[in-house]
Amino acid sequence: MFQFLRLEYKGLPYRWTQHDKRIVFYVFLRVSVPPWRIDLKMPKLTIDNLEVTVPDGTNVLEAARELDIVIPHFCYHEALGSVGSCRLCAMMFVDGPVKGLQMACMVQAQDGMVVSSTDPDAMELREHVIEWAMTNHPHDCPVCDEGGECQLQEMTVAGGHGVRRYRGKKCTFTNQDLGPFVQQEMNRCITCYRCVRTYRDYCGGTDYGVFGSRNRIQYGRFQDGALESPFSGNIIDACPTGVLTSKPFRFKTRLWDLQEGPSICPHCSLGCATIPGGRYREIQRVKAGINRETNGFFICDRGRFGYDHANHPERPRQARLDGQPVTVDAALLAAREQVAAIASKHGPDSVAFLGSPRSSFEASVLLHDWAKATGSLQLVYEAHQGRDRAARTLAARLGKQVRSQEELRQSDLVILFGADPLAEGPMLALAIRQAVRNGGKVVVIDPRPVALPCVAKHLPLPPERLSEVLMALGKNDLNAFEADERSLLESLVEQLKVAQRPVLIGGADLLGGQGVQALCSAAEQLSSEQRSVGVITMLAGPNSYGGALLSGHGPDFDSVLDAVQEGTVRALVCLESDPFREARDPARAQAALGHLELLVSFDSTANLAAQRADIFLPTRANAEMAGSYVNNEGRLQAFLPVIDPGVPIRETGAGNHPPREFFQTTPGSAPEADWLLLAGLLDRKLNLVELRESIERDHPQFAGLSSITAETTGVRLTARGDLPPAEEQELPHAATAEALTLMAITGQVGSRWLAHLSSPLAATEPQPYVLLHPELAAELNLATDERARLTTHFGHCHVIIRTDEKMLKGLVMVPQLWDTALEGMVPGGLLDCRLEKEVQR
Amino acid sequence: MNAYTQVLFKNRRPNETVLLPEYEKNGGYQGLRAAMKMQPAEVCELVKDSGLRGRGGAGFPTGIKWSFFPADQPGDKYLVCNGDEMEPGTYKDRQLLLADPHQLVEGMAIASYALQAQIGYVFLRYAYEDCFQRLEQAIEEAVEAGYLGENILGSGFDFELHVHGSAGRYILGEETSQLNGLEGRRPNPRSKPPFPAQRGLFGRPTNVNNVETLATVPHILTHGTTWFQDLALNPESAGTKLFGLSGHLNRTECYELPLGITLREVVEDFGGGVREGKKFKACLPGGASTPYLTTDHLDVMMDFNPLEEVESRLGTAGVTVFNEDTCMVAVTRNLNQFFARESCGWCTPCRDGLSTISWLLDRIEFGQATNDDLAMLKDQVKNIKGRSFCALAEGAMGPVEALLRLFEHEIIDHIKQGGCPFAC
Amino acid sequence: MNELLPQKQINSFKDKASEISHPHEMIIDLLRAIQLHHGWVPDDGVLLTAEVLGVLPIEVEEVATFYDKIFRREVGKRVIHICDSICCWTTGAEMIAEHLKKTLGIGLGETTADGLFTLLPTCCLGACGEAPAMMIGFTTHGLLTTEKIDDILQRERAAVAAEV
Ligand SMILES: Cc1cc2nc3c(=O)[nH]c(=O)nc-3n(C[C@H](O)[C@H](O)[C@H](O)COP(=O)(O)O)c2cc1C
Ligand code: SF4
Ligand code: FES
Repeated sequence: MFQFLRLEYKGLPYRWTQHDKRIVFYVFLRVSVPPWRIDLKMPKLTIDNLEVTVPDGTNVLEAARELDIVIPHFCYHEALGSVGSCRLCAMMFVDGPVKGLQMACMVQAQDGMVVSSTDPDAMELREHVIEWAMTNHPHDCPVCDEGGECQLQEMTVAGGHGVRRYRGKKCTFTNQDLGPFVQQEMNRCITCYRCVRTYRDYCGGTDYGVFGSRNRIQYGRFQDGALESPFSGNIIDACPTGVLTSKPFRFKTRLWDLQEGPSICPHCSLGCATIPGGRYREIQRVKAGINRETNGFFICDRGRFGYDHANHPERPRQARLDGQPVTVDAALLAAREQVAAIASKHGPDSVAFLGSPRSSFEASVLLHDWAKATGSLQLVYEAHQGRDRAARTLAARLGKQVRSQEELRQSDLVILFGADPLAEGPMLALAIRQAVRNGGKVVVIDPRPVALPCVAKHLPLPPERLSEVLMALGKNDLNAFEADERSLLESLVEQLKVAQRPVLIGGADLLGGQGVQALCSAAEQLSSEQRSVGVITMLAGPNSYGGALLSGHGPDFDSVLDAVQEGTVRALVCLESDPFREARDPARAQAALGHLELLVSFDSTANLAAQRADIFLPTRANAEMAGSYVNNEGRLQAFLPVIDPGVPIRETGAGNHPPREFFQTTPGSAPEADWLLLAGLLDRKLNLVELRESIERDHPQFAGLSSITAETTGVRLTARGDLPPAEEQELPHAATAEALTLMAITGQVGSRWLAHLSSPLAATEPQPYVLLHPELAAELNLATDERARLTTHFGHCHVIIRTDEKMLKGLVMVPQLWDTALEGMVPGGLLDCRLEKEVQR
Repeated sequence: MNAYTQVLFKNRRPNETVLLPEYEKNGGYQGLRAAMKMQPAEVCELVKDSGLRGRGGAGFPTGIKWSFFPADQPGDKYLVCNGDEMEPGTYKDRQLLLADPHQLVEGMAIASYALQAQIGYVFLRYAYEDCFQRLEQAIEEAVEAGYLGENILGSGFDFELHVHGSAGRYILGEETSQLNGLEGRRPNPRSKPPFPAQRGLFGRPTNVNNVETLATVPHILTHGTTWFQDLALNPESAGTKLFGLSGHLNRTECYELPLGITLREVVEDFGGGVREGKKFKACLPGGASTPYLTTDHLDVMMDFNPLEEVESRLGTAGVTVFNEDTCMVAVTRNLNQFFARESCGWCTPCRDGLSTISWLLDRIEFGQATNDDLAMLKDQVKNIKGRSFCALAEGAMGPVEALLRLFEHEIIDHIKQGGCPFAC
Repeated sequence: MNELLPQKQINSFKDKASEISHPHEMIIDLLRAIQLHHGWVPDDGVLLTAEVLGVLPIEVEEVATFYDKIFRREVGKRVIHICDSICCWTTGAEMIAEHLKKTLGIGLGETTADGLFTLLPTCCLGACGEAPAMMIGFTTHGLLTTEKIDDILQRERAAVAAEV
């Protein structure tokens, strides 16, 4: 009687049974009970003769899903809520407090309800709703990019509608150009309103809406043009049919041919769940994974369209020894021997090891083990001093105070100190928006303008004063502040007193170690028996926290550079890191690193370290390997590979059919997982499961590593790191009278390294610009959109003037300007600069 | 022709609008004065006792609706008068506003006092610019005379009244869409609960009533509940009702008649019988959404309950009559086309179901249909009725269902003949 | 007619919008004002409304496109709404529409070449007692006959000529 089939349903394993005429979907999802709801009522109801108990407030559609009965639905979405417009989720309420045929999404579960999903009237209505939804559909599935994961197709089958009876004229629409990310094909629309509800309500976008009425409803922008929200790609996932599809992915692969797997986004420290998809030896798209603790159901455009670094034509795929191609084995052997030789000749501390926030947690542990085996104490996980200190301080201090994105969504007061989520961790901005939608308030204290997709109060303060504010708030002593600053801070103190679930958010770039220290202390001081004040800090990369846990009492990279300069450190091993660009003072790094005897680089991108390495080993990109990261809340999460590396067929064929030659090996397939290379080098287990078990044995503080799987929400590590050595002095910048102070910032979406290497995002990178307060611009006799020349001691470049009223008056801000003389400026640092009007030729 | 007591139309003269002095002379604003001497709850109670039922179509007892209203909740509360009147066959509110607009102003002042709502809106459809101007003038006069605004009649109660002109679309008559429309949002209906009395305009408690309902209230306060109940011919009912006659009648005018009057009397006496001496075939008793009545129903009382007993509704009491030569498929097709075009597009059954029905009725009318189409028409009606988000699609099913119930033979004739049997 | 709205009116809308806490509620009022003055609401009218009220252009457009009596495309100097609902239909609305189409030489939804008249079907105008009916501008004309229509069109033509 039961026939099981497997379907891919938006990345979730889907099993469906066909039972007589009835088709029910089973999906492996559970309603989770948030901790603060545990004490609530738990109504018990009967659905299809099965009893289920659910938290109060759960709707009957969700309650049924608890029993693995999935009622077809369009307009309902767990994150978007119920609106009852599609009328598809009909169930028959046979007995209890509600009677008759109802939309299951609109009825809250109550004690004593008896509900049927197989009632003939309910099934008949569901079939009709599908029939209506399909009346104007163009039936163009063979050329539709949604085919293979189309919810409309699935619901059409599930609803039992097979033959179209309507043969009248169909409504047709004109499509809009929505920019580089989203392709629109309005004729396929079934008017479920999910895109607007995602774009406007959930993500806070302001340039997408719904027009017209009756059966002439159309979605789009006021006028053609690129969607402005940094979360625009979510409407691709939200659309249950092929109206909104990914433009960069268009016509690349039929979905049933796409290889997909659960992964973790490599672009920032939040650890959002993603589902990359690849074929023809290239990563072709990324969509949001579901993790209710972190990203929920959505991801940002940086994570979605930032996959292309893996396919970059200049990606180094060949192991090298002294500039010559060699096998991976030969390069590994050389690395091991040369490092050992230098260590034995000049002492163990003559070799330094530089990990990175981009590496897997497993590889980071193995780097630690390699340093230990060598006897070297020169082990650092982040080339940038401020970011390093921030991560290590956080890892040392964070305890009960840590908050997840989900907890942030429920917060009633969010205060940001030197944190610009859209730049440093975009999904955090979305979580803050949900907090606001739930009634929460937001205050931003930052020199930058800090755009958020919700209303927020803003106090512009220079970066060096952020810690001061934090300490003052913690001690509740605001006497040191000017009247205008004090009024906002005083109201903040008042709000903090009454808030039930406040969260303080900091950013590593601006706070550095001291600032994070102050942030954690303030949260502790403000916490009481009744309520704890939460902390979230945005770090540099997906495994910053993992690296910080492993850093121990090690030096920071600035002192390693001193040692290189002095000649005590002679060899440097770079694991997916680029000190030439990422150090706090890249100019100094470049000068110092020239003294090295040996530079070993493991990397998956063509950065400067990889280019200059004496020994180079190609590593796999995140979507090509299994591994794990520890996100900024200490959550250890696993990811799985989607494809194996290789030169994309698109490239080998130069646009045509690939050459009809046969090789034993795939071109460009040498890259291996970072941990696999290091394990090989260290003669450790080459199997991930065994490796994880052995790590757990050697490092008991990482218990749980061997139990995580990519389908779960991950585990929060309880291990604490160590505080970094005492803070060094600020980066020298002589604030001379005529010089302006320049602050590097992270720009939006495409501005980080991996994102910069991804063509869909690179296409949206703005022209180099600087940001300043309109008053400062006026003083300098510069106008918005005017061209100017920006000079620092790195060199000069041409920029466009942008102004923002909300930012601090005295600063000039510049995003990381890749491929210019100023690309070495890492966010957070202050520099002297000159800004002059460009002379028109 | 019987002469019945005129209440709402007692001051009406052709092509003229009653201004304040005349309105006052004929007993105007006495109801407001009476109300102001009572407690707000007492006013509600009185209206409840009078048996007044909503004149906007649904016939919900007005006093009961008011008694659910959280009058003592602090903060802004709103009273909205529904003057959308876009259901085909309905034009009574226009007649009332053109003739004697102060009744509405007074009724709203009383209602706002009873409900303790400080702000009122009259929502008027686009086509009623004439009413808009008359009403603005009446409001101006009333403010001048102290019947509106601050400290009404020295009672300490304030009430400000605004008129909002709409820009088309029938769905705005649905009360929750109307609230969205007034707020300047897309006028899709809202889900209930929460009801407008809990969360209405701008999220605040709001009461919505029809023009005629509110205009009736002053008379109840002036003359009492017994007088009001005695107006109706049906002892179980109360009051008079404006009947707008239209279609194939000799006289297509708006009359104020007692509830409980028979359809025959309406058609033959007031409507002057069917034009050109033709026979009566059917009618819509109360607007486009009410199921047809036929010759079998001529002696039914035109009132809420009696019409429900014959599977129809009083609706807005806009009586549209069809003569013996009328094709009921074509009538239904026209009505359904209206509903399909006026659907807001929020829910699937209405948005795409009504256009499917339009397609089926086209096929039947133009002789392209088969028995399968008839079967499909039936299953469409079954699945739209009671399944849509708001009552628009529900109303649209009134005539289609009545067509299937009363005139299925006409559909079959169309199918058999491959065309319309009524086409000349 | 090229101006969307006189500056004085814009200012008074702005003043009112700044006084109230829900400026959205004035979207329809402003769109209607622009239409009355300019004849229809072009894209710039939507943008002006958004700017005056301090709301998003998309919010204005969402509302503007919902209503059938807000014209988001250019229309003639006089818009003729012919009722096609049931009461007018029973009394010959189809013939009236045919007559108008023939006289003006345009179909429904079209504008005459001289830019004078646009013909639009509309649902019930609330003139059922005087069916068949049509509305030109804000004026309802009932009990239509072909002669009466010719007469009305003549008068409208004269009125437009006098405006220029
Ligand atoms: C589609 C639709 C259109 C409606 N149109 C009107 C209308 O034009 N005027 C009206 O008073 N009520 C209309 N109503 C009824 C209102 O929703 C509401 O019930 C009424 O205004 C309440 O007033 P009453 O209780 O005084 O009748 C309509 C309802 C629906 C579902
Ligand atoms: S029934 Fe649905 S589509 Fe129709 S008007 Fe109501 S909500 Fe809108
Ligand atoms: S999912 Fe319940 S009505 Fe759409």
